[in-house]
Amino acid sequence: MGSSLNKPELVVDGKRLDGRRFDEIRDLKITAAPLKNADGSAYIEWGNNRILAAVYGPKEATPRHLSDPSKAIIKCRYSMAPFSGLSEHGRSGPNRRAIEISKVIKEVFENVVVLSDFPGSEIDIFIEVLQGDGGTRAAGLTAASVAVASAGIHMRDLVYAVSAGRIDEHIAVDFTMIEDNYSDCDMPIAVAPRNNEILLLQMDGEMTKEQMSEAISMALEAGKKVNVAQRNALKEAYARAGEEKN
Amino acid sequence: MRDMIIPGDMVSDKPLRIANGFIQNGKTYSKVLGVYDAAERTIIPLEGSWMPRLEDSVVGIITEARPKVYIVDLSYFGRALLIPGKYDRYEFQPGDIISALIKNIEGKNTIILEDPKPLEGGTILSIKPKKIPRVIGKKSTMVRQIAEYSGTHIVVGMNGLIWLKDGNIALATEALLKVEREAHLSGLTDTIKNFLEKNKSE
Repeated sequence: MGSSLNKPELVVDGKRLDGRRFDEIRDLKITAAPLKNADGSAYIEWGNNRILAAVYGPKEATPRHLSDPSKAIIKCRYSMAPFSGLSEHGRSGPNRRAIEISKVIKEVFENVVVLSDFPGSEIDIFIEVLQGDGGTRAAGLTAASVAVASAGIHMRDLVYAVSAGRIDEHIAVDFTMIEDNYSDCDMPIAVAPRNNEILLLQMDGEMTKEQMSEAISMALEAGKKVNVAQRNALKEAYARAGEEKN
Repeated sequence: MRDMIIPGDMVSDKPLRIANGFIQNGKTYSKVLGVYDAAERTIIPLEGSWMPRLEDSVVGIITEARPKVYIVDLSYFGRALLIPGKYDRYEFQPGDIISALIKNIEGKNTIILEDPKPLEGGTILSIKPKKIPRVIGKKSTMVRQIAEYSGTHIVVGMNGLIWLKDGNIALATEALLKVEREAHLSGLTDTIKNFLEKNKSE
């Protein structure tokens, strides 16, 4: 993990290590509905992140005592494949970090899914990180959102997530693993784009009030591209189904 | 004119009470991935689970026979019950397949069935519930032509389960799955007719 003692140079000639500007996100590609067995699914390639999300439901809630007769319950499982990571990250199984990320993602979806439309049911969201390179919770959430939409589950908005943060005095978005580990502050944000409502905000590090509002507005600006990618993925999936006939 | 819509997209700047939509600040938005028909003011979802409505005809499997009530599996997240009336003279065992009508929806997710008809033997095919209207077709043209060409007895449930018996079940299944795959395309009745004619002779 990062420490101030062995911190590498993260900014070279006013650009980041991979040559991006501070407000630029990595290449992003989303495929909607790649899995046939799941009710909804999505695959995302964001920089070097490779994440698969699958959604099952609404189905009968199990165990029964957890079901709520007035609304649906959501279960979320984020996990990293054993081969997904660089060194410390990418231990398989439900560790402390995975449980925390599952919980915060679940809470995001509880705010956008119209739970009262599926009383007594359960919606399962699975996020599997095949290869991680920083910002996996943002990328995983972005993919899960497409998966929930492709399952036909009623939701009020198509949420996306993007990370922002601070490298020395520079505010930047979409950190890679190296930047994540050695930067001064890292802040993933999930947003419902219709009214720009913030549904998730976690912060690791320090920022001043001004830097934080700059980071949020930069993340909202970068998020527009993420949102477009999500919408195109959904539209493409159904256009693709139309081509198969020919 | 039909536009593809994504959850959260505005379909009208007036508050409309329509299925699969919701109203916020006097405007109407879509809750689902689907297409919006502006002329008819309807949102047609492309995916999703079955939402029961009164009078829907369904196909289900009896899972439990209790005194005075049968519990039926409709592959739905809620519960479905069949309560025999005084003059009903049928008896079902767990595993029996029935077709029935929805009499009532109690509470929020308990379906009460009526008018059960036993379906003996045969097999069950599961289709995405949102594609069922297409399987039935306008004035049941689609399902009727599939039944005719394959010689199969077909009962379609709005919940996504289809019961098939006798005749060329393989051909009927193939045709039904083709309808499911190509449900969003126009001219489907003719496509399926050609498919059935071509494959029947073989």
